[in-house]
Amino acid sequence: MSITQHQSEAGSSVEPQGKAMSRFGTGRSEFVVVAVLYAVAIFLTIGTATMNVQGKSAPGPQFFPVLVCIVLYLAATLLAIHILRTPNVPDNSIHPGHGQFSADMLHDLGHLGKEEDAAYEDAPSQTPGKTWKTYSDWRTVGLLVGGVVAFVLLLEPLGWIISAAALFWLVAYALGSRRPIFDIGVGLLFSSIIQLAFGAALGLSLPSGLVGGIL
Amino acid sequence: MEQLELLMGGFASALTPINLLWVLIGALLGTAVGVVPGLGSAMAVALLLPVTFSLEPTAAFIMFAGVYFGGLFGDSTSGILLNTPGHSSAIASTFEGHRMAKSGQAAKALATCAIGAFIGGLIATTLVVFFAPTLVKMATVFGPAEYFALAVFAFLAISAVVSESVIRGVAALGIGLALALVGIDGPSGTARFTLGTPQLFDGISVIVITVGLLALGEVFHIASRIHRDPAATRIHTKGRARLGLADFRTALPAWLRGTAFGVPFGLIPAGGAEVPTFLAYGTEKQLAKRRNDPEFGTTGSIRGLAAPEAAANATAGTAMGALLALGLPVSATAAIMLAAFQQYGMQPGPLLFQRSGDLVWALLASLFIGLVILVMINIPFASVWAKLLSIPKHYLYAGITVFSMLGVYAVSSAILDLWLLIAIGLIGFLMRRYNIPLAPVLIAVILGPMAETELRRALAVSEGDLGILVDSPITITLYLVLAAALALSAVQHLRHRANRKA
Repeated sequence: MSITQHQSEAGSSVEPQGKAMSRFGTGRSEFVVVAVLYAVAIFLTIGTATMNVQGKSAPGPQFFPVLVCIVLYLAATLLAIHILRTPNVPDNSIHPGHGQFSADMLHDLGHLGKEEDAAYEDAPSQTPGKTWKTYSDWRTVGLLVGGVVAFVLLLEPLGWIISAAALFWLVAYALGSRRPIFDIGVGLLFSSIIQLAFGAALGLSLPSGLVGGIL
Repeated sequence: MEQLELLMGGFASALTPINLLWVLIGALLGTAVGVVPGLGSAMAVALLLPVTFSLEPTAAFIMFAGVYFGGLFGDSTSGILLNTPGHSSAIASTFEGHRMAKSGQAAKALATCAIGAFIGGLIATTLVVFFAPTLVKMATVFGPAEYFALAVFAFLAISAVVSESVIRGVAALGIGLALALVGIDGPSGTARFTLGTPQLFDGISVIVITVGLLALGEVFHIASRIHRDPAATRIHTKGRARLGLADFRTALPAWLRGTAFGVPFGLIPAGGAEVPTFLAYGTEKQLAKRRNDPEFGTTGSIRGLAAPEAAANATAGTAMGALLALGLPVSATAAIMLAAFQQYGMQPGPLLFQRSGDLVWALLASLFIGLVILVMINIPFASVWAKLLSIPKHYLYAGITVFSMLGVYAVSSAILDLWLLIAIGLIGFLMRRYNIPLAPVLIAVILGPMAETELRRALAVSEGDLGILVDSPITITLYLVLAAALALSAVQHLRHRANRKA
């Protein structure tokens, strides 16, 4: 929710000037969102059409889903048109709330002018020295997604203490920790404290897995 | 003065040693999530909800009261010291707050924030105590059509009026409504979109959705940027936050003006504290210009910081009133509090004061106690809290990831919930990446079922005649105000677009 994420977009997401700006895909990766919206809408449409309706109330259980489907199809189509017409270009003005709130509205309400915009621009961290091919760091995101998927798969066979410690270690490593051996200890301590505090004191049942089997 | 008597009863049940301990824990947790950028009270309550489910409801809500206000006490710290507001409610306080810190007045700035948050919260909570019965009376004349109008108002105000892009806001709303549809339909008993999985008959838990969007989505987002965004430089502060008497006198009118902006916005579903904080900042800026205040915009004006801080907490205070009396969540945080009530089998609204009066008044009393505790732990220890900013990010987010898994698993010990969590976390990441607002999803998930039930109830009574939806003065007023707000916001967007082109 910080506005800092937004400012850096200017520096790092743009491709080196003079090249690649003509490619159709540039600034249009948001089509992923359009695809998600269509997928949800189609899922709802099929579910509504094949619904096994109980009772005879009118308006029935299919009424509201139809409205939601209309909203989703409309939003997805309009978003697609919007992306086609105006690809996502870097934008340097202050963005309070990172898309959560209309910058136009907040500029008007707060009588914001150039000095507030400048307060963020003269921050020392404005231009990163390097540019990357993609805005997002997919390697780190991929590591994390892989980590949580592995955690869910291993939770029941291995038990909470081991799998949670492993997840902690992996996330810390992916986000840039440089003390892997030390982190194993931190992770184990963290997961064991949770097991004790919430399992023993508050009565949550966490899977004990291997460790529980040995004890 | 029946309210005073009830409030005293509330104090009596909240002032037991064990309940004081819960307020203190809540206040500590709340301040901590407020100080750390990217976290917030909404996420904290969502994570605490499942793991505290074995507590008595009163104890849990007393703790949530501390978390609720605590998030707004710490939220300006990172803005003031790092110039990177960790929460959108703190952006307006960052402008003058960071200038004060740069000119060596960090301790003063932190104290101004804490006292401002205290004053705003105190006045707003007092107003709630006195006007809650009036709100309840108002709510009792609401029928299905009125409740549906209220929900539509909340949906469109949050997704279209205050959000940056109308299309993206409405898309977020659609996703939220779709998530809320899964499960058994109450009135008819039809299973909807469950793919025949019995575990989904109760719907997707609000906790899974909130933790996925706000916690796991944030972790993925941080991961996508952490090796690319350079770190901000921090201004160090030592000792306790302090404010001299002269500064207190300067700041007092600004605190009160800020509170005046914040109070009404607690009743309007405009997404929370952002609109009133910017209004308060804008007013102070105009006033400073009129009186030729040289500090404003240079070394930092204490008033420009005091007003938005008080406004934010005043909004949170009256938002609690709207939530308890009308069952209307005006912000994402309020939506999670509403979900918390539902988890404990209670429905905020007029009936709550009758059915669970004891709990409501204990909660209101603990809001006051929470404010006192918060100001006590924030002013003397401001620099200790600022140390939270130096926790290495990788440990912080590793802890949050593990805790999200714990919280969601605790809901019903189901692996399916964890898969849903990952899917919703990825959606949250995509939404952050493409600047799609998150608040409409949460509001839609919470208010969607209510909107559907009331709409169907209204149409069943009128036998399908849509006219019933605009049949009473209340509904007509709500829709007219909404139409006016939409028109104004359209004009604003067009004007700014023209300005940018010129």
